[in-house]
Amino acid sequence: MESKELNISPVGRVEGDLDVKVYMEDGVVTRAHTQAAMFRGFEKIMQGKDPQSGLIVTPRICGICGGSHLYCASSALDTAWKTQLTPNALLLRAIGQATETIQSIPRWFYAIFATDMANKKFANKPLYQEVVKRFAAYVGTSFQKGVTASGRPVEVYALFGGQWPHSSYMVPGGVMCAPTLKDITRAYAIMNQFRNDWLEPVWLGCSIERYLQVKSWDDLMAWVDENDSQRNSDLGLFIRASLEFGLDTFGQGVGKYLAYGTYLHKDKYNNPTIEGRNEALISAGGFHDGENYHALDHMQIAEHVQHTWFEDHAPAHPWEEPIPTPVTNSTILTETDFDGKYSWSKSPRYMTHAAEAGPLARVIMASNPGNLDHQNRDPLFGDIMKEKGPSVFTRALARMHEAPRIYEYINEWLGQIDLDGEFYIKPEERDGKGWGATEAARGALAHWIEIKNGVIENYQVVAPTTWNVGPVDNEGQPGPIEAALEGTEIEDAHDPVEVGMVARSFDSCLVCTVHAHDAKDNKELARFKL
Amino acid sequence: MINVLWLQGGACSGNTMSFLNAEEPTVVELVTDFGINILWHPSIGLEIGEQVVDLLKDCISKKIQLDILVFEGSIVQGPNGKGTMNYFADRPMKDWVKELSEVAQFTVAIGDCATWGGIPAVPPNPSESTGMQFLKKNKGGFLGADYKSQAGLPVINIPGCPAHPDWITQILVGIATGRAKDILLDDYHRPKTFFTDFVQTGCPNVNNFAQKIDGHFGKRGGCLFYEVGCRGPMTHASCNRILWNRQSSKTRVNHPCLGCTEPGFPHNDLVKGSVFNTLKYLGVFPKEVPEGQSKMLYYVRAGWEKVLPTNEALTETSK
Repeated sequence: MESKELNISPVGRVEGDLDVKVYMEDGVVTRAHTQAAMFRGFEKIMQGKDPQSGLIVTPRICGICGGSHLYCASSALDTAWKTQLTPNALLLRAIGQATETIQSIPRWFYAIFATDMANKKFANKPLYQEVVKRFAAYVGTSFQKGVTASGRPVEVYALFGGQWPHSSYMVPGGVMCAPTLKDITRAYAIMNQFRNDWLEPVWLGCSIERYLQVKSWDDLMAWVDENDSQRNSDLGLFIRASLEFGLDTFGQGVGKYLAYGTYLHKDKYNNPTIEGRNEALISAGGFHDGENYHALDHMQIAEHVQHTWFEDHAPAHPWEEPIPTPVTNSTILTETDFDGKYSWSKSPRYMTHAAEAGPLARVIMASNPGNLDHQNRDPLFGDIMKEKGPSVFTRALARMHEAPRIYEYINEWLGQIDLDGEFYIKPEERDGKGWGATEAARGALAHWIEIKNGVIENYQVVAPTTWNVGPVDNEGQPGPIEAALEGTEIEDAHDPVEVGMVARSFDSCLVCTVHAHDAKDNKELARFKL
Repeated sequence: MINVLWLQGGACSGNTMSFLNAEEPTVVELVTDFGINILWHPSIGLEIGEQVVDLLKDCISKKIQLDILVFEGSIVQGPNGKGTMNYFADRPMKDWVKELSEVAQFTVAIGDCATWGGIPAVPPNPSESTGMQFLKKNKGGFLGADYKSQAGLPVINIPGCPAHPDWITQILVGIATGRAKDILLDDYHRPKTFFTDFVQTGCPNVNNFAQKIDGHFGKRGGCLFYEVGCRGPMTHASCNRILWNRQSSKTRVNHPCLGCTEPGFPHNDLVKGSVFNTLKYLGVFPKEVPEGQSKMLYYVRAGWEKVLPTNEALTETSK
């Protein structure tokens, strides 16, 4: 079979399979469909159960973003129960979110993304040999360093949450833990080792302080050429090789971006409300329509299910949506009618738009000149979007750009914990509606809850992967990955690594089965695991 | 060389993420130094030129020897037993598992979903999920009570939500180094080496348990068994002997043990009042008492200790 010739990379997958059907004409993708291939029914499981069930159940939706689900589940209850949160509670939740996200950065880059750069497609490029030497799976000189370093930040998560993955230490009203001096000092030491083992010597080739002076695309180019250490760091190599390999030329996407923002400020969210959330964020949220910024309003979100293997209902805001009822005629990709239902993922839309969630959306929000003084203000990606625009490269760079900043935040927040202060204020249970949101490593994540008669009446989870891999909506608009694949040039139809790189630049949490089809005769050219 | 095939069904990949945190050995060392050949794994497959369908077929036809089949996630049987809610490589995943389990020398279920159904199997179990050889406490599961792998063992269950990386790697190394005969299984097919003691074994609050001093969220010191539903005294696992992420455990950070290595997690199926709350009779007597004790004797002794402590209670804690 033709697939025998394929060079298949290992990629991360978290919550079930993603299949992708790609139609090509003269080597260019003309249409793409994404199919999420697994259903478990978590929302249905929580219906009628204890209101705190989400604290235990939702982290188990996704083993790589469990802490992010916990951040949402506890926040949703905070807004429903009108809890009070102490500065310590907000700090320890933010540290949990941040350590989970920074863990994912090297793990994603080395184990999932960079191994594609060692694909034979790029063998004739001058930097190829160096890329293979560093980034090849398992044997690359940076591969083990990066994968091993990725385990360190979640040791800090374990100091406060007991373990990673799958702690439930964030609860409505605060956190369970009451750390002591040795927990704080040890956390500093572990993060310091993460910096010394990987972040500065391997990734940056300079100090964090130096890197954070980069404010524009020109600054970044100048940074690369400033000295050998920076030029030859993994970041320096990634930038040079990406431009040489043309990773900045494909995978543009829908050009609209959504971030919920995260890290609630210790002194600005002590009485949690949905209305007060935007201004309490340290990492700002918002919607960018390609030209303008819009303040985040969760009421603008609606989920479509016309192409989802759920019983039909009109597009609805998650609070108004029924718990999904699966249809029983799901099919394998080769037998799927893409005019009908074709995925287990819904299609969430913001103000009717498909929107890309993820690190690129976050760094675009950081460039919003309207951000407040306590918020992350970083003009770099505003400039990069003007100079370069979105692409596989821009998306991957955005993800990696976050590591130094998150490192600084974690140290800052550790320094603000007051060991004489309170960590938890017991709330009173009550009926009502709540909303909790955050930025998981791979993008905007939110939970909507309605509690009635003391049990969960409705629970809706919209994950970043739902935003990115969702199918066509009721108006016929493709999802972000479907859109990003269109127009991609496939050099070798029997090894369409470009398709994999687009999908993986979104870090879609899923292993993708790509079925490449010729648009003219619908003959299957290649099928392989991404 | 030991061939390992790792597949995921109704999974969150939490056990894979946990596995990637392994330290002694690391996942890379497992491959490079312990003769583990990962035929395929959704995240970290070494064999990157093979088409997965062909690989699975070669295992089934015994062209490739399948030494260890590792399964993570529940077996999804919905809807109506068809298994089409979880496709993998053009078929329902359950159909692959059935055929692969018949040729595997050892079959290992990792995590609660694969061992006994886990969270997906909580009523109403929308995906009709089950474990490999158990559904909650009931033996049978997907492969049936009589299933034995080629080496003559039932499914080796490594439960936990997730399983600790050491529990996974040490069992793989044990098989790879020819010590399969030393893997003794308990009634739920758990390796006794990890699942004989209780979570309470090694818990720093064990004195507070003995002295009946209550703990609460956000407070230093005190035992979480009495109010917030800690299951440490009823849960077999080594969480306080082999620490998590080399640092800690749930009970060490004031997080009640959820009992996730016991069939039935989440216990009481998340009914109202069962989450982070100790279920009691008459608002006083815990409905479940430490394993191995009669309820009445426990209540008498605990009540006596509470009213007339034998020692001065050690309540002092420090930041």
